[in-house]
Amino acid sequence: MLLAAPLTLLALFFLLPLLTVFGQSFAAPDGPLGTYARVAGDSALRYSLIYTFQTAAIVTLAALVLSYPVAFLISRAQGRWLVIGMVLVLVPFWTSAVIRSYAWLVLLQRRGVVNEIMLALGLIDRPLRLANTDLGTHVAMVQIMLPFMILPLLSAMRGIDPSMLRAAAILGANPWRQFVNVYLPLSTPGVGAGCVLVFISTLGFYITPALLGGSSPMIAVAIEQQVSRLLDWPLASALATVLLVLTCALFMLYERLNRRLAGAGEGR
Amino acid sequence: MNGAATTPVWRILSAGIALLAVLVLIYLVLPTLVIVPLSFSSDTFLKFPPSGFSTRWYESFAASTDYQLAILNSLKIGVPAALVATVFGVMAALAVVRGAVPFRRTLAALIIAPLILPQIILAIGLFPLMAKVGLIGTYPGIVLAHAVVTMPLVFITVSAALRNYAPTYELAAMTLGANPWRTFRHVTFPMIRPGVIVGFIFALTFSFDELILAMFLTSPTTRTVPRLLWEQLNFQMTPIIAAATVVLLTATIALLCLAAIAGAGARRRMGRPAEGVNG
Repeated sequence: MLLAAPLTLLALFFLLPLLTVFGQSFAAPDGPLGTYARVAGDSALRYSLIYTFQTAAIVTLAALVLSYPVAFLISRAQGRWLVIGMVLVLVPFWTSAVIRSYAWLVLLQRRGVVNEIMLALGLIDRPLRLANTDLGTHVAMVQIMLPFMILPLLSAMRGIDPSMLRAAAILGANPWRQFVNVYLPLSTPGVGAGCVLVFISTLGFYITPALLGGSSPMIAVAIEQQVSRLLDWPLASALATVLLVLTCALFMLYERLNRRLAGAGEGR
Repeated sequence: MNGAATTPVWRILSAGIALLAVLVLIYLVLPTLVIVPLSFSSDTFLKFPPSGFSTRWYESFAASTDYQLAILNSLKIGVPAALVATVFGVMAALAVVRGAVPFRRTLAALIIAPLILPQIILAIGLFPLMAKVGLIGTYPGIVLAHAVVTMPLVFITVSAALRNYAPTYELAAMTLGANPWRTFRHVTFPMIRPGVIVGFIFALTFSFDELILAMFLTSPTTRTVPRLLWEQLNFQMTPIIAAATVVLLTATIALLCLAAIAGAGARRRMGRPAEGVNG
């Protein structure tokens, strides 16, 4: 009974739109699979799909490597340091991506903060091109995704019993072996959940790549361009369907990992 | 790591890891703060370092009717959307956590899905549907869209609150003759109130920040602050945008402080130490 209202809202404003996208993707004048054939035949769109995947993989890996020490440090913190650590992660998490991407534009543009500082220090003679490059966009995207990686890692790491490491140390393991054989395996559910979350979010990333640009548009940017500039709704819908299927598959993986994470927490 | 970090090599290594973590935290927080000094610039375009200090951009922000209208729109859209999300999210959480429903996990995944799915997909699906029933550019259209994507936030916080205590309290009330509504009103709701408030604030924050659905579903008269910012970003780069973002940043942080206070109050009332068992 209680579920009737929320499920109606979901059915009308979530499931129905997804079905609409799915239906529209087959509404091409040149046969039902015409739009998909056009996606496959358009080298720019094909590259956009590959580029989106590459970007998602790079951003996920970079975010993981950078987040792991941070999550480890915060998971060990106590009292005031714990509060400071959580604030430093949660405030960016809740700050609008529009604002954070704008800040990166201000930093990276031609007469931006980074170029002006390097010019003043004499490190370069003329401004470098930093915005509209893959490197600049990746650096910004990783920064925006960091909290999505740190928070799942933190929830896994706070569930690790420190006496496990003590036991390993007593048994003669050096810190490296304690980490590789004990700590890392115990934190894998958090690594998995964080990686899937960041990968999914980067696949559908619009704001930062649209503002900063790169060597190719990401899928979400390509979808928006198809609709608002070219008014090609079937093609946009076909791209969105591809993105939808990929995201759903990864989301199911995420759910399974999350369940394992919750199971590990309850098992203590 | 532990007491084993006795030899100098391991001590240097763990200091290195701590240093790396601190550097990453600086990378996480500092770039956004670059906007603050620029917003007090006296120049007519974004220039670093600013040649002088002035509050002229805050004055033109305060005087701008575009921003006034957009802030009003964001409130007119965010508050009702967060209210709908809260009522529906609480109902869904009660049903999934406390009720005897089949496919509990699948249902929970379905309810959370709108938050995870890229908004661009939902936007291009909602646009033709809402165009058909004349909801494009209206308040109800964007309110319903934001309610769907923010309901998961309330669902998550309220589900966590419900899992924090045993259902025996509700059983006791029912045994003493309370009907389901009175049980909810006098037993369940006081227990989950902080979770509900935090969920509402999260939903409100999300709606204030959401761009893509707003881009597709609002019109120039119903456009929200993120959409106005976005449109300005693509045309001009005056420090008025910096001033506007600093104001928004402050508002976001104020809302999060409220959420933190509500959460901390809950822990005190539950009579547990600040470091809860499930931290």
